[in-house]
Amino acid sequence: MQTENVVKQKKRGAPNAGKVRNTMAKYLFFVCAAMSVIAVFGIIGYILYAGIPAFRDIGFFKFIFGTNWSHDAGVYGILPMIVSTIVVTLGAILVGGTVGVFTAIFLVFWCPDKFHLRYNGNNKFLQKTVACINKINLRAVFDQVIKLLAGIPSVIFGYFGIAFIVSAFAGADVYGIGKGALSSALVLAIMIIPTVTSLSKNALEAVPQQYYEGALAMGNTKAQAVFRVVFPAARSGVISALILGIGRAVGETMAVNMVSGGRVYFPDGLFTPIRTLTTNIALEFADASRGSTLFAALFATGFVLLVIVLIINLSVNLVPKEFKGKRGNKVLHGAREEVVYEKKGLIPEILKYVAMVFAALIVVILAALILFILIQGIPNLKWDFLFGESSHQHPSLMPSFIATLYTILITLAIALPVGIGAAIYLVEYAKPGSKVVKVLRTFVDTLSGVPSIVFGLFGNLLFVSLFGYSVWAGSFTMVLVVLPTIIRSTEEALIAVPVSLREASYGLGASKIRTIFKIVLPSAFPGIATATILAIGRIIGESAALIYTSGMLITTAGAAANPGNMAPTLTVFLYMCWAEPTNYLGYDQAYATAVVLLIIAALLNLCVYLIERRVKKKR
Amino acid sequence: MLKFIKKKAAQSESAEKKSPLDIFDFSGENAISVKDVDLYYGEFQALKKINMQMPKHKITAMIGPSGCGKSTLIKTLNRMNDLVEGCRVEGEIAIGGVNIYDKSVDLSALRKNVGMVFQKPNPFPMSVYDNIAYGPRTFGIRKKSTLDEIVERSLKQAAMWEELKDRLNKSALGLSGGQQQRLCIARALAVGPQILLMDEPTSALDPISTGKIEELCEELKKDVTIVMVTHNMQQAARISDKTAFFLLGEMIEMGDTEQVFSAPKHPETERYITGRFG
Repeated sequence: MQTENVVKQKKRGAPNAGKVRNTMAKYLFFVCAAMSVIAVFGIIGYILYAGIPAFRDIGFFKFIFGTNWSHDAGVYGILPMIVSTIVVTLGAILVGGTVGVFTAIFLVFWCPDKFHLRYNGNNKFLQKTVACINKINLRAVFDQVIKLLAGIPSVIFGYFGIAFIVSAFAGADVYGIGKGALSSALVLAIMIIPTVTSLSKNALEAVPQQYYEGALAMGNTKAQAVFRVVFPAARSGVISALILGIGRAVGETMAVNMVSGGRVYFPDGLFTPIRTLTTNIALEFADASRGSTLFAALFATGFVLLVIVLIINLSVNLVPKEFKGKRGNKVLHGAREEVVYEKKGLIPEILKYVAMVFAALIVVILAALILFILIQGIPNLKWDFLFGESSHQHPSLMPSFIATLYTILITLAIALPVGIGAAIYLVEYAKPGSKVVKVLRTFVDTLSGVPSIVFGLFGNLLFVSLFGYSVWAGSFTMVLVVLPTIIRSTEEALIAVPVSLREASYGLGASKIRTIFKIVLPSAFPGIATATILAIGRIIGESAALIYTSGMLITTAGAAANPGNMAPTLTVFLYMCWAEPTNYLGYDQAYATAVVLLIIAALLNLCVYLIERRVKKKR
Repeated sequence: MLKFIKKKAAQSESAEKKSPLDIFDFSGENAISVKDVDLYYGEFQALKKINMQMPKHKITAMIGPSGCGKSTLIKTLNRMNDLVEGCRVEGEIAIGGVNIYDKSVDLSALRKNVGMVFQKPNPFPMSVYDNIAYGPRTFGIRKKSTLDEIVERSLKQAAMWEELKDRLNKSALGLSGGQQQRLCIARALAVGPQILLMDEPTSALDPISTGKIEELCEELKKDVTIVMVTHNMQQAARISDKTAFFLLGEMIEMGDTEQVFSAPKHPETERYITGRFG
């Protein structure tokens, strides 16, 4: 055995060579992990740097507390936008947060596994249908509904908002357009539901079963046990979910842009048209020439937005993880009194029905969204529009297919190695719980909280300067967008690989690097594959980070085949249908594109589902 | 007018004394009587024709090797088995003269009267005070002074008032394992149960904490009937009045503890208590 080892080592060169290789690998992985730190500092620094002229020329206080913004008049004040952002976000979290949390409660505690339909008639077809319906795993379907909702590009929610919410309000509103504070809040509410629901669900599922059983054994009904013991026990996780939902709402750009009205007003009424910080950037950036005050003012807007979002996201860390006790000391002086126990607890029973109604509401919303897109879009899905030659008079999706594919390939080619390397450093090399790990994780989380329009600003400043408006610039920007997702998911996949496997490998004399590449990574492959698919979904659904990097331009398939040129991805194309409509580009084309995007989102979800199911079966 | 008020007060007082949850009548000699109980988990039969009587204000210990059905049985006594999918109970379990598997029986009322202490201490992530007050609160008691009294009385009953009276606002999760388990006993006592089920209450505890809980059980016997599952033969011999021996889902033997341990009627019981199998 020993001689064999020696022979092997000799074959590979001196024993020291292995050591050098291992050390080099370690530093390489560290550099990958440090990329997130560099990215965060780079983004904050660059954007502040580009915004400083605005603070200097306009004046910090005049900029922040100025109540008017007009490019023509040269007045730049963002107070109405700050207030609008806060108001709309509060509205969204009030509605979306409540619905999301209650839906999570329904999913964990009341969602039945299966339908229990009964049919006693003789009709064979009906018998078969009922049997088929009873086979459906309802819980899994509901999970997929939430995930699909999370995977739908935000621009599609914009169209949905225009069709359902804006048109419903148009009559009620003095401005007669229906766009405004309430519309924005409601669209945002729908968009944050998946975030809030899935994170709250995780928190609820992590509550030990013993609490639930303990409460039941004391004579609680199920609803009482859920709402008085389990839910309070999951409090910190639910609060974190809500905070991340708030972060998501503050950073959302495109959908809000489509339903907010875009005017710089204070939100003094439900239907007042408003402009948020993010939409300010999206609306004005096209008119800003480099070096102008407007350009600087938009970067300053981005900086303010970034600061707000970072504060919100970092405050998650301040939520106490577990109950530590109340302050003060309790002094009792209970009087002898007659004690009468009664059966009470109507409120939890009511809340149970609230949870069911909200969960049903989500299904209705998603069904309405999908049906609406399909009904509007399928008649416009023509071969010529999908794959025909594209021109100004006949815009087709062909260039966008190519641009999307290029963006995915280039982004993943960079983000996957860096992300996986960073995750390897965090899990395999850094000491668990050490300061380095904590700092790196904080930066990864920070990066994942940066609003995509801010990534767009940064990409415009750095990558557009390097490559010009091009798919290259867009892809490099997207690397920063998807990097945190890849790092986090890969980390989880690596942590899930049992330590005993690594020990077995070391026990046979394998080096660390060999263990990582031959044992750990292959075992973690399904998790990494899932992370990759999620990243692809994010790239396809992204628009805010791309409109000012790879640009909005109707182009030809030939031009799109060179990533050095401008070309819109599918979602950017969808946004262009609304933002830059022509006689040949409008809602018909938009809905057809939306159908394509929905199908892709559903397919990606299916892939993730199949991978997860396979992994579960193996275990 | 004054008369009317007095009358009203008298009425409410008389109404007060009888809680709508006290549907059981514990005046008989046996608190629990189990008749011909079969229990199935799906196809698997976990309990076979169990018949036993548990006398009031006594400690009944259930012993037997793992998987013999004793934990299953104790969970049927407050219907915690309802949580297990595919679990089916046949036969009759009468508590305070009421068949608890009857459809009309209110689960809340049953579990208020039949408290349970689990194998692993499971205090809620709340303060000590809120843990104890939790049960009374769910049963409609909101008045601060009444709650204070219940908390104090329950903690005194569980013999931990002195150690905890200065930390009522601290998290219950900060207590030691033994303290947590006694807190759970106090929590169960706070709703005034007549029966206390204990499923291996000391198996997760050190010998000193175990001793304290055993002492407590002897003390509590005055107020409640205790049914205990235990793996510890000495524990059963030390504190119980009645002992039942289970094997493979059947009750082999039940009798006075002294008799079961000194002169078991069945050879299997003897082999088990002398440590030859199990």
